[in-house]
Amino acid sequence: MDITFILTNALVVACIYGLVAVAISITWSSLGLINLAYGFVFSFAGYGAWLVSGLTGGNPLMVAAAGILVGALGGIIICLVVFIPLHDKPNFTIRGMTGTLAISLVGSQVLLWQFGPRAKPLPELFGFWKVSLGDIVLTSDKIGIVACSILMLAVVLVWMKSSRRGLEIRAMMMNPHAASIVGIGIRSTGLYVMAITGAMAGLASILLSQTYYIAPFSGLTPLIKGVSIALCGGLGSVQGAVIAAVILGFVEALTSRFLGGQYVLITQFLVIITILIIRPRGISGLLDKAREQ
Amino acid sequence: MSEILNISGLSAGYGPLRVIHDLDLVIRKGERVGLVGLNGHGKTTLFYAIAGLTGWQRGSIMFDGRQIGRTRSQGPGRYTHKIVRLGLAIMPQGDEIFTGLTVEEHLDSGAFTRESWRNRARRKEEVLDLFHPLRKHLKTPVGRLSGGERRMVSIGRGLMAEAKLYLADEPSLGLAPKIGIAVMQALLKIDLRESAMMIAEQNVALLEGRVDRVIGMHAGKLKGEASVALNIGRAE
Repeated sequence: MDITFILTNALVVACIYGLVAVAISITWSSLGLINLAYGFVFSFAGYGAWLVSGLTGGNPLMVAAAGILVGALGGIIICLVVFIPLHDKPNFTIRGMTGTLAISLVGSQVLLWQFGPRAKPLPELFGFWKVSLGDIVLTSDKIGIVACSILMLAVVLVWMKSSRRGLEIRAMMMNPHAASIVGIGIRSTGLYVMAITGAMAGLASILLSQTYYIAPFSGLTPLIKGVSIALCGGLGSVQGAVIAAVILGFVEALTSRFLGGQYVLITQFLVIITILIIRPRGISGLLDKAREQ
Repeated sequence: MSEILNISGLSAGYGPLRVIHDLDLVIRKGERVGLVGLNGHGKTTLFYAIAGLTGWQRGSIMFDGRQIGRTRSQGPGRYTHKIVRLGLAIMPQGDEIFTGLTVEEHLDSGAFTRESWRNRARRKEEVLDLFHPLRKHLKTPVGRLSGGERRMVSIGRGLMAEAKLYLADEPSLGLAPKIGIAVMQALLKIDLRESAMMIAEQNVALLEGRVDRVIGMHAGKLKGEASVALNIGRAE
């Protein structure tokens, strides 16, 4: 009972942070932007879903759709405000980081000013049923979170693998200069990337709100964890981000079970530091010259 | 009237460096033009200026009756995709490829117009007829191919869309002579009834008899022009 509880918890945490990490990873490798504004997108999508749930009386499908769409909208806003004006200016990496961090701070303050400091709950999206497999009891929200995030990740990856826009994004991830030579527009592709990664962050926000409340600054922890997982997996590598998410999910679950929740960040960062000492590019960081600056 | 490209008074460069000085050039439909010059004399920069990829540029570039030049205030590459979509196929120098994409995806990425994307299966067949060595590598990531095969991929990518102007930048650079000649032969097979082609090359012997005229380039200016096949390579 004890060990399965830890395992399922680890998986749930890994799924949510993995979504954010993959979003950060894709943004970095295709646009060269370390997007620190996902914290804001997170809360933004959460509040969007909360408003919709108030309007529709908590229809789960509508709430989830609202979270995803508002997340995508947040991504598009960041793209319009930071990426498009700055992307061909010198020192874009630093400027982009500063710009997105500014959006994150300003945006969170606006949310605080608009909605007040009181945390908002979202309705239970997945109902209250349970599945018992022998000793293991799986609650509905755990199954729902894992299924939704895997589904979202699969949809994004299949889309990137099979569609024309996905091909353009992958081309830009590997060689931005050659991409412009074959007629791939950096700015229009940027909009697609930011919308889809924003949608991923939005979904992660909805899923996390099954456990935590939505508050103006509730996106900060997922952002920090997402960035560190993306770094640990190797920026730009989707599979690395997934592996790192699973590892850090287990670390988090084991730590909070055996040492207590307040030590989670300590053990997580110790693990990240160890991994980065052994593999400075992360677990499966790109070994070719793509995005090496 | 059948001018594809008309450049007048073009200067271009990077930062304080001026690479191209007041250059004038006209390319007509159906022409295959060789551009000869040493390293660092502006051949690649001329191609990049046409595509809007230089640091700065001024002067008029008329491409198929449209102005794509003039003084540019934005950074490099901002309008490149629009220019490319007008019908410019660039086969860049060296390995400007996407190492993780397969050969097939690579060819797909070259089909940038809506029409060519719909017809990409047929076009892929045509490219593969031209470069049969690629046929057995369709699902291989390009990073694992040999230098000659990579060059074929990057040239084949340029052939996937209906271009009006093909710019081939040193197609034989770094290749074994035999493969270099094969790549050159493939460039000759491209149908130029509705388009034109410029080939930048240091090895004049490779261009000999294969282009309609050869233009020399020296220190950012065009120097000398020969309208028929030369006899330079034959002296040895």
